Amino acid sequence: MADGWCSDNGESVYRSRDAVKNFRIRVRIQRVTSTAALSEHLHQQVLSQQERGVIELETFSTQTASSTDEEELVVAWQEKFFSQYEVDLYQTESNCQTPLERQYHTDIMAMERSKRRQNQRIFTYTDFDRFSKWEEQAQSLVIPAQPTPTFLAERMANVRHRRQERRPAESNVPKSRLITWEPSEEFVKNSHIINTPVQTMYIMADLGPTGKLGLKENEYVLCTIKADGNGVISIKPDFNNNRGAYRLETEGEKREVWRLYLENASSDIQAEEKDREQRMYRDLYTRHKDYLNSLVGQDFEMPPPGILRLIVNGEIVSAQGYEYDNLYVHFFVDLPNNWSSVSSHCLSGVTQTCRTRSIEKEDVAFFSYPFSFETFFHKEDESDGSLPQWPVLYFKVLSLDFWQRFRTEGYGYLVIPSTSGRHRMTCRTWRAVQRGTVAELRRFFIGGAPELEDISYVRIPGTFKGERLSRFGFRTQTTGSVTFTLNCIQHARAFIDASTLKKRRQTVLDQLGGHSQQGSVYNVLEAFQRAHKRMQEARETLPRDLINTSALLNSESSA
Amino acid sequence: MAELHIIGQIIGATGFPQNSLFCKWGVHTGGAWRLLSGLREGQTQVDMPQTGDMAYWSHPIDLHYTTKGLQGWPKLHLQVWHQDSFGRCQLYGYGYIHVPSSPGQHRLQCVTWRPLGSWQDQLSEMFVGGGPQLRSPDLIYSGADRYRLHTVGMGTVELELCIILRHFDRYGVES
Repeated sequence: MADGWCSDNGESVYRSRDAVKNFRIRVRIQRVTSTAALSEHLHQQVLSQQERGVIELETFSTQTASSTDEEELVVAWQEKFFSQYEVDLYQTESNCQTPLERQYHTDIMAMERSKRRQNQRIFTYTDFDRFSKWEEQAQSLVIPAQPTPTFLAERMANVRHRRQERRPAESNVPKSRLITWEPSEEFVKNSHIINTPVQTMYIMADLGPTGKLGLKENEYVLCTIKADGNGVISIKPDFNNNRGAYRLETEGEKREVWRLYLENASSDIQAEEKDREQRMYRDLYTRHKDYLNSLVGQDFEMPPPGILRLIVNGEIVSAQGYEYDNLYVHFFVDLPNNWSSVSSHCLSGVTQTCRTRSIEKEDVAFFSYPFSFETFFHKEDESDGSLPQWPVLYFKVLSLDFWQRFRTEGYGYLVIPSTSGRHRMTCRTWRAVQRGTVAELRRFFIGGAPELEDISYVRIPGTFKGERLSRFGFRTQTTGSVTFTLNCIQHARAFIDASTLKKRRQTVLDQLGGHSQQGSVYNVLEAFQRAHKRMQEARETLPRDLINTSALLNSESSA
Repeated sequence: MAELHIIGQIIGATGFPQNSLFCKWGVHTGGAWRLLSGLREGQTQVDMPQTGDMAYWSHPIDLHYTTKGLQGWPKLHLQVWHQDSFGRCQLYGYGYIHVPSSPGQHRLQCVTWRPLGSWQDQLSEMFVGGGPQLRSPDLIYSGADRYRLHTVGMGTVELELCIILRHFDRYGVES
């Protein structure tokens, strides 16, 4: 009898895109020991003695096909089939305490009244039964099983099946009582969350002797099925799939052996329903995508053609290292030639007066002053080959004290970066000093200091005409520094063509060179293509000349 | 339209006179911007660090904007408050920072300041707490009226923002 057994009792994991409620499994058990063998033995004896009558043969045939030795049942997901023990237990109403047990009592009485019982030996324990919790506690990983489970095992059993006592989840958290300072056992059971909630179902069998069903010690686990919300179904043991039957051996004195067959009985969806379902899902996703696209829209503001739009969002972060306290920064943006701005925009500003604080032996004033401006660049004269100049931010740091005296603490400038993105810059400053002690005394007592008449003298004065800038004679003293953060965005229609044609990305300076540079690049490309064509023509004519030469050689040799 | 995703967190704050801080934050945008999903303002928990100077919040920010123009890029404004052992809340600093305009992950430091009153106000504040606050923080988003203020620098708020731009290159925006 060992030839037909399947000894692989391992677990198998399946993934299903269908809902788990469509799961069906066909379970069949068959007894193979003493009664069947005895019947076969007696059958052979009867066959050997042909003198006997027909009545005895019929009796033995009927006994061989007894229904208590074989049973087949198709079980759906979480479908409850009652065992004889449960029927006897829940028939008495006083044994039912929980609402589930009262429901079982009602079902059993209705089943007894209508005589519609489909199973005798095979029954199920669903996820809501108490057996699912007891079974997990009872399973022990150590061969000499401990009489009592550990504290961790008890906690894990309670945590894993917390869902049964859980209240319906509320969508909104109450504003008051966010924290439970003394959680109760029930609160811990309800609120603790583990990774994946798994529903479990056990298919059991009552393998007691014929006519003596209903004892709990004769119950055996045929199959354990687990499913989670992600469509993962694990079955232990696996379906037979044309392999041998599983061997199920009972305990006790008789040592009976049963055959176990597990078969997937889930019905496939029909082609029409499958197409309808796929079409429904596709329509749902398409409608959701259209909804998002309608929210986003299609329009976007664009600058006029041939104009570069520069948007700078920045902050004056801090000023550090200055002599006096209560600093503020006065700044403005200077636009060179070919640059323009919207008249409504403000290209200058003054920060608040900020008292410094010491950070790592340095006095720092925090401004956190946001500013934004927008400028446009339009190059009208194409013949001019010089690169465009970028806007410059000039700033002046001043201090204001309790007596309303203000002093110039430093001058500085910041060239707006020509690359897009986020930039963090620290600019050093200096202030003009005057020779002699009188100026310093005046600065200390009265306030005031030499000031620049034109602040663009920090870099290149606007009125400067000539080739060489000389600052000889101008006297300064080094002071602190100012930190800026700039976010530069550049916007132009030419960038669309650049990205559309998938050209090699050039720097902004090259693109801002205008049509003249692009024209020169185009000329180079055109010359290259012409040279390429000429080389191809030369390559095409060369084999003919060689063929003609070899033909002439052949004719001469033949002559 | 183009879309902008701002995903990140307010990590914490450091450099304030005392810990036990919490932060109110909000995002301000121009008229061309529209919020598709996410919360545009919120408030963190009060953090009392056991060791060290930094208070950690790890407050998540997840915003999805769509826009018709580049004007009014999102701006983040923060208010750092201090809660003492009696439960009184005191303003510790205002901070303003532009959301970065380049894609990728950015680690930002937002410096904060708070307004300062006269010497009588400072003396009473030393004993009983409180102090001047901005009448309406919205008035100084643009920074136009900042020059009237007299402030003192406070600590620094640390943020980590990840910027994802969509369809900006389709309209010729290089950022």
